[in-house]
Amino acid sequence: MSAAIAAPGQCPGAISIEIKSVKKRYPATANSSGIVALDDVSLTVKSGEVVVIIGPSGSGKSTLLRTLNALEKIDSGTIVVNGDVVTDKTTNLPAFRTKVGMVFQHFNLFLHKTAMENVVLPQVAVKRRPRAEAEANARKFLAKVGMLERANNYPSQLSGGQQQRVAIARALAMNPRVMLFDEATSALDPETVGGVLDLMRELAGEGMTMVVVTHEMHFAREVADRVVFMDAGAIVEMGPPEQVFLNAQSERTRKFLSLVG
Amino acid sequence: MISQLLDFLGSDLAHYWKIAAAVMPALLKGFVETLKLALVGIVWGSLFGGMLGILRGQYIRIATPLIGAYLHLLRGTPFLVQLYVIYFVLPNTGYSWLQWDSQTAAFVSLGIYTSSYVTEIVSGAIRAIPRGQWEGAFALGFTRLKTLRLIILPQSVGLILPALGGVYVTLIKATSIVSVVGIVELMRQADISIVRFPGDILYIYFLAGALYFAFCFPVLMLVGRLEERSKNGRMVRT
Repeated sequence: MSAAIAAPGQCPGAISIEIKSVKKRYPATANSSGIVALDDVSLTVKSGEVVVIIGPSGSGKSTLLRTLNALEKIDSGTIVVNGDVVTDKTTNLPAFRTKVGMVFQHFNLFLHKTAMENVVLPQVAVKRRPRAEAEANARKFLAKVGMLERANNYPSQLSGGQQQRVAIARALAMNPRVMLFDEATSALDPETVGGVLDLMRELAGEGMTMVVVTHEMHFAREVADRVVFMDAGAIVEMGPPEQVFLNAQSERTRKFLSLVG
Repeated sequence: MISQLLDFLGSDLAHYWKIAAAVMPALLKGFVETLKLALVGIVWGSLFGGMLGILRGQYIRIATPLIGAYLHLLRGTPFLVQLYVIYFVLPNTGYSWLQWDSQTAAFVSLGIYTSSYVTEIVSGAIRAIPRGQWEGAFALGFTRLKTLRLIILPQSVGLILPALGGVYVTLIKATSIVSVVGIVELMRQADISIVRFPGDILYIYFLAGALYFAFCFPVLMLVGRLEERSKNGRMVRT
């Protein structure tokens, strides 16, 4: 719990995310006997590090990612992100979440707002930035993701890849310390996947702390500082990409990689 | 032959005109009363139903099932029964604050009746908004209230407004029932007028119906307009 007090410096090497023996179980219902979603998961992410989580569907990787900003509750364990104890009941979650950007599989752009307004609204409504400042900031980040010329379009007028780039701009405009990517390219047309991955690569190059859940093995291999392989709610293997992809220790990991690779 | 027909029509028209002139002031007075009842029902039913609907649209441990029970009770019983309970049964409980005059009883029962429909409409519209809209907002640091106010409700209005119009029309027509507890609204005025002109029952009811229609029709037109707009224009604006 010392991380709660330590100043969350941005210097590389400082601990950014600390997950300690996290357990989560979906309770039994009428037609299932309950599932272990997270089985004693522990993981530490350093500031500036890019951790990519891979694994089969239902292995708990998205669940783990969603516990990091408390979109998903856990049964036991502790999670500390940049000094904020996420699992502490007294933590002000909305305030904490402004410091953690999240990108979803289905973008979750506000459908009644233009691209521009999607980026401006959270800054104004949550961070209480003056409108002019928020708009200037929004233009900056929309330009960064290459969406400035579509700023006045509604999400329904944009392709999946374009929506995802706006969603990334929206998250970045809040100046997060950490970015979480939950299968950010899984719902995209093949031709728009590249643009989004390029953007994520660029962010990683800028030193953003990133936790990425993905099925893009090339991306994992090339961009990750560390690859985590999960199965059945537990971390099976973890290490630098060369080690996991070329010299996996567990049979389960090798089998998965041979099937997707 | 033709002059005979014209003569007949003329005398008939003159008769109808005479009756209309005689009963219209009373009917219009009743119409104003109906208007008042409908407005009070709309305002209270919408406010109360809107609040309950917003609660029911999310899952809140105790509130949601409780509101569900309230809705089933109200929607599963005729309005007339509800009105009788409120006007005749509640005063018998002995609490002085439950002793209402007929006007208050009518207002309360119309408000409650309307609220049950409004609650379902609002909660249904909120639930129709994809879960991802909530999560997207939460992940950016929106509180639950801010998410509702800035993200969910603005997207729900397109679904709520057209459906509300239908409920309001039902309510306007239901006001005719409160005549049974002694409210002299349009329907009651028509009955009184019929006592004065027993030979023209059909015509007087026709006049009353025409006034109800004149009230409901614009509301229905508005509903149609809103429905059209929410179908065509939702989310795609240029």
